[in-house]
Amino acid sequence: MYKGIKKKAAILFSTVLLAVGVAGCGGAGNNNGETVSKGSNASEAGSGSPVTLTVEVFDRGIQGQPDLNNNTWTKYVNEKFGKPNNAIVKFVPVPRSQEVDKLNVLMAANEAPDISFTYDGNTVTRFAKSGGLYTLDELLEKHGQQLKSYLGEKVLSYGKYEGKQISIPGKRTLIAWNGMFIRKDWLDKLGMPVPTNRDELYNTLVAFRDKNPGNVDGVIPWATAASGMNYTFGNLIPSFWGPMSEEEFVTTTNWLKPGTKDAYKWLNKLYNEKLISPDFALDKTTKQADADVTNGKVGFYAANWDYPLSQKIREPLKQNAPDANYVAVDTFKNDEGKYLKEMYNENGIFSFIPKSSKNAELAIKYLNWMADPEVMYFLQFGEEGVNHKLVNGIPQGIAQTGENMQTSNLNMDYTLIVNGAELGDTEKNVRTYAAALAAGDQSYEKLAVDSYKINTTDGYTGFYYGVSNEASIKYGKTLGDMNKQMSDRLVVAKPAEFDALYDKLVTEYMDAGGQAVQDENIKNYRDVKAQSK
Amino acid sequence: MKAVLDSSRKYGAAKRKNNFLYYIKRDGLLYFLLLLPMAYILIFKYAPIYGLVMAFQDYNIFEGIRGSEWVGLDVFRFIFEQDSFYRALKNTLVLNVLDLIAGFPAPILLAILLNEVRQAKLKKMTQTVLYLPHFLSWVIIGGMVYLMFSNGGMINNFLSSFGLEKIEFLSRKTPWLITYIAVGVWQNIGWGTIIYLAAITGINRELYEASDIDGCSRLRKMWHITLPGIKSTINILLILQIGRMVSIGFDRPFVMGNSLVSDYSDVISTFVYRVGISSGDFSQATAVGLFQSVVGLILLLSANFVAKKLGEDGIW
Repeated sequence: MYKGIKKKAAILFSTVLLAVGVAGCGGAGNNNGETVSKGSNASEAGSGSPVTLTVEVFDRGIQGQPDLNNNTWTKYVNEKFGKPNNAIVKFVPVPRSQEVDKLNVLMAANEAPDISFTYDGNTVTRFAKSGGLYTLDELLEKHGQQLKSYLGEKVLSYGKYEGKQISIPGKRTLIAWNGMFIRKDWLDKLGMPVPTNRDELYNTLVAFRDKNPGNVDGVIPWATAASGMNYTFGNLIPSFWGPMSEEEFVTTTNWLKPGTKDAYKWLNKLYNEKLISPDFALDKTTKQADADVTNGKVGFYAANWDYPLSQKIREPLKQNAPDANYVAVDTFKNDEGKYLKEMYNENGIFSFIPKSSKNAELAIKYLNWMADPEVMYFLQFGEEGVNHKLVNGIPQGIAQTGENMQTSNLNMDYTLIVNGAELGDTEKNVRTYAAALAAGDQSYEKLAVDSYKINTTDGYTGFYYGVSNEASIKYGKTLGDMNKQMSDRLVVAKPAEFDALYDKLVTEYMDAGGQAVQDENIKNYRDVKAQSK
Repeated sequence: MKAVLDSSRKYGAAKRKNNFLYYIKRDGLLYFLLLLPMAYILIFKYAPIYGLVMAFQDYNIFEGIRGSEWVGLDVFRFIFEQDSFYRALKNTLVLNVLDLIAGFPAPILLAILLNEVRQAKLKKMTQTVLYLPHFLSWVIIGGMVYLMFSNGGMINNFLSSFGLEKIEFLSRKTPWLITYIAVGVWQNIGWGTIIYLAAITGINRELYEASDIDGCSRLRKMWHITLPGIKSTINILLILQIGRMVSIGFDRPFVMGNSLVSDYSDVISTFVYRVGISSGDFSQATAVGLFQSVVGLILLLSANFVAKKLGEDGIW
């Protein structure tokens, strides 16, 4: 008897609980339904309560940055685009360093912003393959003529999957990738010339270490951070490559290219001679490397070609080490006397519209609106007299704080369809870019022009297959992580263990999908070549 | 039947003795209090079990569980072919075993020592100071560890100012392992003492008095009274700990790890994060999670079984 009652009680309670749970979920579901239906009604009618268009934005965690959803730029967007279209444009911040992670979660939860984006092409293709993205051909035809003509066929082709437009790639006007910078004032003090090849660089770094020309505490001849963000080894590795056929050059993984091993061995030697930041592999956020550079302790470093111009480097450096004078340098020459280096393709970030979005039409309208030259100009340069002043027709930035501040170079996180300035010819674009970033500081303008020139000399771009690589979709992220780990470990390894470690790591890499990716690359490459014949 | 009669007689409400409402009436508040934790368990622990079916599907995030294709054990096959999975599994076990060896006895020892502190104020203060690290996020601890132990960190600066060789605490494998374990012990030792201190309070005071009369030394009392007094607590915690052997927190290895020691720091939780969240392969992540739970359950059951065989109390 007693047991029976107990059982009944238990059942009753669990039912009550379940009911509560279900009611709770149901409640939430209803709410969602309401907003959704509201949204679609409004977009049909064009009046009534406004639709909310959500747009992703990178949160770069910059000191003193304004509210990413409430500043000069978002207000402009809402005023000029939102009001006429009866919409509220809401920006959804995503941490820059974890963009793909966060995007995966948002997509899986059907909560990704109406306009989402990523730099990782594999991720976009993976979403498209699972049927999670709108195909944009019709929408683009109907509502995106201005956008279409701005980007052009070539740029748009980077956003296609199986012949369908699945993303809108931004247009990249400046295609330099990495850059290398050296302290000219230190060189002058030592009476040394700017290095033009590896051996000269090596001697210079040794002199930096031994003579400490800046007389700083803890001099770092060559600063870098854990692989993967901002800091790189420039074009050192291509400079070691031996002769290859075009097919090999395109399809072989870098780890297996002739010369890569020697390149890492050279870096390993430098690290063990204490010429490279001792703790770089622990510096996962580049905070340490940034601090070292801006405290004037660093002789040489390689990062994005425009890295010295960015506000987070430029301003503290000026404060902490006003004498520091970094110049762009080209120092990794290969056996043929060339300074081989990789450049970007003409595409920038990929914007796409997830299937869960109720506002696909509005999203395309938004991107189309942005292609209006007047709009783009404002978003990149702001208002004359407030955000920039015009000197010889080139807008020169005025340093900003608070809500006028741009958290990315020329606001590229808000202007998804363009990356870099665009005012006609390349030289002017570079100068404009530099002027905008460096607030008209002449020396920085020169640095930018030099850096751009150097880093587009002897450049090559990644081969564009035009078809997706299934293996790459599957293993791409794992291999990318492995790349970073391998690079760091090889540089830090004990010299005696280097050879064995290199072979072991490369075998692991090939087994973990590297081989599959390479095989498919070869197949795709041959297909493309056969078709073009 | 007898039990029911007894209990109803005891509480003197014999009228509606067989009605379940009677119990609600009698202990309504207690049942009510039970609602919240039960809801928590049901919603956050039971409901997600449904998601485990993803491990047997080629899960498509846009189609959901209902629309995804069933693939049987393919996902498991794929995982068991990967070397990095075995490495993660091995590291998880190694780190946990070391944690158990170093981290399990530490709070017991500390609790016994704390128990011997006579001055109440000093005891309270020591306890509070020792708890504190438990409330720090691993991100902060990671920052502190970097400042202290990196090549340019405090300790190495100190060493090199005396002309001593630097110790690469964080970038070589064995020193990293020791640092990892030591930091873990430091963080948890204070918190771990709470349960033991509570258990010690439950020991009959008369035992100590009796031993005083018999002329026992302090060490003798610890060995013959305090330790046996908390033996069952130790037992239960040990069994639970063993059950958790295959699972490992995410923050600690993720924050403290770096690419140089990834041969040791890549564990199951970071593996799941990498394939699940970073690469968006939810099927694989779920399958690894399921595998982990199953092994954990087996370990827990065997530990409990062994404990019972040895004549101790199990957890049930």
